[in-house]
Amino acid sequence: MGTARIGAAAASTLHSLCALGVAAAYFLAQRVCVLDLVAHPAQTLRLLLVIEAPITIGVYSWLRRDTHGCSVWKAIGRGLLALPVGAAINAFGAIVLGAPVGIKYWTVTAYWSLLMSLFTFVPAACAFGPSRMDWQRILSFSKLLDAVDYMISVPAYGAIIGAWIGAWPMPLDWERPWQEWPICVTYGAIAGYLTGMVASVVFIVALHRKVHAKGE
Amino acid sequence: MSSSLTCTRLTIWAFAAVLLQIAGLSLFLIGFFPVKPTLPGFSGPESYRMPTSDPVSDAEEVEELPPDRLRSLYREVSKIPPVYDRLILMVIDGLPAEFVLGRGNKPPTKNMMEAMPYTHSLLSSGKAAAYHAKAAPPTVTMPRLKAMVSGAIGGFLDVAFNFNTQAMLEDNLLEQFYRIGWKLVIHGDETWIKLFPRLFHRQDGVSSFYVKDTVEVDFNVSRHLEAEFASTDWNFLILHYLGLDHVGHIGGRQSILMAPKLKEMDDVIKRIHMNSILDQENSDSHTLLVVVSDHGMTDGGNHGGSSYEETDSLALFIGHGVEESNYSPYDHNEAFQVDIAPTLALLFGVPIPKNNIGVLLTKLFDSLTDDQRLRSLELNSWQLLRLLKAHLPGLHCGESSCYSCEKGLETNVPTSEAKQRLCYLFSKAISAHNSWQFRQHSDFISADINYFQVAAESYNDFLRNASEWLSHRATDKPVNVLMSAIIMMLVSSVLLMGIVFCLFRRVHFAQVGCCSQLEDPYKILHLDEVFVFIVIFLHVLSLGASSLVEEEQYTWHFLTSTLYLIFLSRTIESLLKRPNSVTLQNKDDKTVLPHSSPTDARNNSGHKFTKFRPSKINNHGTCRLFSVVVVLICGRLLRGWHQGGVNWIYLPDISKLLVHAGTSTIKVCQILSLFAIIILGSHAIFKLKSTTNFVYGVWSSLLLSAFLVMLHTMENHIYDLEPMNLSTTSIAQVFYVVASTSAVLTFLASPWIFPVYSMEKQMVYQVRSNSCSTKQRDSFLLSIRETTYLIGTTYTAFWCLLQLLIQQPINAIPILLIYLQILFSIIYFSADRSFHRQWVEVAAIYFLGLAGHFGLGNTNSLATIDVAGAFIGISSHSAVLSGILMFVITYASPSLSYLSMVMYIDMKDITFISSTHEYEWSIFLEKMIALPCLLPLLFNSLVLTSFTIILLLMRNHLFVWSVFSPKYLYVCAATVCVYIGVFIVAATGLYTYSVFCFRTRNPQEKCPQVLRDNVISHSQTNVISQ
Repeated sequence: MGTARIGAAAASTLHSLCALGVAAAYFLAQRVCVLDLVAHPAQTLRLLLVIEAPITIGVYSWLRRDTHGCSVWKAIGRGLLALPVGAAINAFGAIVLGAPVGIKYWTVTAYWSLLMSLFTFVPAACAFGPSRMDWQRILSFSKLLDAVDYMISVPAYGAIIGAWIGAWPMPLDWERPWQEWPICVTYGAIAGYLTGMVASVVFIVALHRKVHAKGE
Repeated sequence: MSSSLTCTRLTIWAFAAVLLQIAGLSLFLIGFFPVKPTLPGFSGPESYRMPTSDPVSDAEEVEELPPDRLRSLYREVSKIPPVYDRLILMVIDGLPAEFVLGRGNKPPTKNMMEAMPYTHSLLSSGKAAAYHAKAAPPTVTMPRLKAMVSGAIGGFLDVAFNFNTQAMLEDNLLEQFYRIGWKLVIHGDETWIKLFPRLFHRQDGVSSFYVKDTVEVDFNVSRHLEAEFASTDWNFLILHYLGLDHVGHIGGRQSILMAPKLKEMDDVIKRIHMNSILDQENSDSHTLLVVVSDHGMTDGGNHGGSSYEETDSLALFIGHGVEESNYSPYDHNEAFQVDIAPTLALLFGVPIPKNNIGVLLTKLFDSLTDDQRLRSLELNSWQLLRLLKAHLPGLHCGESSCYSCEKGLETNVPTSEAKQRLCYLFSKAISAHNSWQFRQHSDFISADINYFQVAAESYNDFLRNASEWLSHRATDKPVNVLMSAIIMMLVSSVLLMGIVFCLFRRVHFAQVGCCSQLEDPYKILHLDEVFVFIVIFLHVLSLGASSLVEEEQYTWHFLTSTLYLIFLSRTIESLLKRPNSVTLQNKDDKTVLPHSSPTDARNNSGHKFTKFRPSKINNHGTCRLFSVVVVLICGRLLRGWHQGGVNWIYLPDISKLLVHAGTSTIKVCQILSLFAIIILGSHAIFKLKSTTNFVYGVWSSLLLSAFLVMLHTMENHIYDLEPMNLSTTSIAQVFYVVASTSAVLTFLASPWIFPVYSMEKQMVYQVRSNSCSTKQRDSFLLSIRETTYLIGTTYTAFWCLLQLLIQQPINAIPILLIYLQILFSIIYFSADRSFHRQWVEVAAIYFLGLAGHFGLGNTNSLATIDVAGAFIGISSHSAVLSGILMFVITYASPSLSYLSMVMYIDMKDITFISSTHEYEWSIFLEKMIALPCLLPLLFNSLVLTSFTIILLLMRNHLFVWSVFSPKYLYVCAATVCVYIGVFIVAATGLYTYSVFCFRTRNPQEKCPQVLRDNVISHSQTNVISQ
């Protein structure tokens, strides 16, 4: 797929596919499996992961940058490989920021980091592969080139910021069950991710305007 | 020259801002926490004498009398026979008076009436006297109990000043009863036992911790009733029922559990009345039952604030003397909670507690003769007058001067001045009393009643006015003073902000002028810079929420770790970027520097603006990556060391694990961290380029101190049971002497001893620099850097050793972790000095210090201050020395971060200094010590000012005394810590610089002379070449 061809409409379609995945998983958990994020965080996160992973990996493998030198399958393979790597990075970040460590929390932390990896690390890995420049551009969040850059980085940053904000109520003494790790952080991450998707579409529209203006 | 001028001005402005801040802070402290004069000691027989103007004879105390003698003495001098000899105080926690007495003049609702049939029958038959006893905020149990038994409204500072003990030290009823030999028994809330740990003859405390339990708490009190009715050994029985408060907390006022609970309380009252009071109808002994509540509750069942619902508490007196037929029980009888203390004191024939501000409830004295009633009013007035004299020094009244002024009764001139007015009222009351007595003795009976009423009323007049004045004195806050204090602090903050902003602008222009290195000239702020602002903003915001103040350790760890994660991501980003773009240059660059030691790199990296060295940067990149990860992991370990805080104190953490593992494990940790600190410290010292004998001297004193600390640890191990033994004390004292002398000597001597580098030496290290003048200047600056580095390293190493000595053993590893964090941050920052702006680096070190403060287990409640450590190495009790040690222990981590700023100064890039100004002290000041000094001051002043405003806004908040005020004390102490730290940094920098200036200008030293000549010639050539 040529990256230049990604317009705002396509971007929003692809984003809504990912968002639908999250929504479907959530719906499935609540209605069909009778799972609740508050009561059964591990199972719910697992369900979210299982449904969201193929969608995300598929979408971003299709969006891969190097369309000629790299087949879709290779991109998918990259995505699958990136999933645990990204999870390790996310888990490191979460633990360093104070996520509880212990046998009790091991499974939820693992599922949460895999989900975060899906929001942040996997899309970039699928689309960019080992290209250093692309990674650097995404990390510095400056000089983003095209729609794909925006589609990857804005939701990822949204998810991270959302999770970061979601951690704030945890130390409060409200004695609510959702203050437990990683429930409110997951809510924050998902909210941030969805907001990031909307924002990225807005950015893409703005980018196209600019490009058009320059062209004229 | 203009820059020198502005620099002087900058210093002056900074000083002015600090002074203004100190003035504002002290003004606020005086205004917000008024230190009310309280009278020390306990009332004795002297309280039955007229207060004299001479305080010495007034305060004169009789030596301890045996209880029986004291009791008879009191009876003799008081001239009032005790009305009762046994007292049952039944406290129903959280019962609003409205439930029993109704609101206004209306009786309570029918449900309530039906829930307490017996009490209402007592009330309507006139066998009980009931009052709405208004409680003073904060309406929580402990201060309310204190008010009830002492008659005083406590200030905050008396809580703060004896934070170590909860025991009540002021004069109070229980102590008075204990002194006359009464036996005291308590069943119920264990707060009483905490308040009076040694007074009770028999006790059974229940905890108020399990709020969900509404049945067991009260059953545990009531089960003792039968036994207590049967036994005769007690004189004062306290029953404190918590159940009703728990019901309120669960379901509010309208809870379905409320009516059954009231019924239960009514049954208890009934049982007591039947068994203790009706029994004794005809005997000599009389029992008084007092049913009180400590506070009320809101509709939701909460309490703590100052609304009518919360302050409306009950005081109900049931006994044989209370008999009155012609009054309606549901009249709104307003009284104050503090009135209970003097009433009970006078009814039972003990002196009124010294700091009482209450007024006796006259209705309870109706069974006495007129003479005795006036006497009791008189005693109450004398007591209040004594207290007034403490508040208003120089209050002289009531003496013979006004005894005969019958005119005073007629001339109703209200005097505006409180002093005069109270004085006038007192003399009026005394003279009315006298004239009544005169009539009595002269057998002139006709106008008798009239005179009695006049006397009683004028006494009441005085008492009410004095009481009101005293209570306002305790609670009122002078708005003008507070506002002006806040304005002063605001101005000082704005001033500091302005100074820092000016500095930024100058530095920014300087950077733009001479370095093209800044990655993105369009981008004004990087993410890390933005985040520093966010940290400050969020922290200030979090101070407004009481639970976040309680759990501030989370906030700081979270924010600091996030900042370092941002550093990490920037490091990774730069690692990703470099190798691709400059792979071509890699090869020939590697050959340039054959022997590149880390110090060398540190001192040389200033020149990378002149030449781009990717291999170096790549190396640095890995080094930076490693350092940041170390800082992050250390931070996480610190976080897990004390889960701490106020609400999550029970969570498992590493410190609790270690405590369980036993003292030997902790000992091993201590020794390990001692060795680690020594190794780190020595390594840091020997990174210096020139290891002269002096450096070895410093190092050996460090080793000696470490040996002493180890000895102390070992000794402590052996004599574990004996906390204060001689050998450990003397070891600690020797350590204090060694450590302080070597730190001070290093500071004083090292600028004199350190060599000023000569040209030959220069050539080795500065081979690659481009311009010759840079060489000269650097040789001078290099010496300064080396010196400050040595001083800073010495400071931090000795500080850590000191902390190992005096901190709790469990905190040994956290000290090491903080030290590691700071060292690795400095390594990270020095690896590539242009990577972050200087102010971000200073801010990061400052944040590390604060996060470490909480990592050491400190919280914002006064309970976590380590008092035990404050006596290490002190042979005799000294409040000042232990205070200093306590401060050193508590602020270990922030102080360490300020001391490490001295070390950090050296890492600073001073190569921006343009060559014409090289010996200007102002440039040095500006580049090296301005930011490390000003930024902590600015951050702290922002926190201080905003928290002052928050405290003022929250002054009626439920947790103002338990959360916000202790935090304010911590903020004030932190401010002092910042002042001290900044002073040390500035003093070290300036001293070192001036000594070096002196040495280089001194013609006797040959080498610098040559140097200086060279510099001049080089700068001239420079000008010419340009």
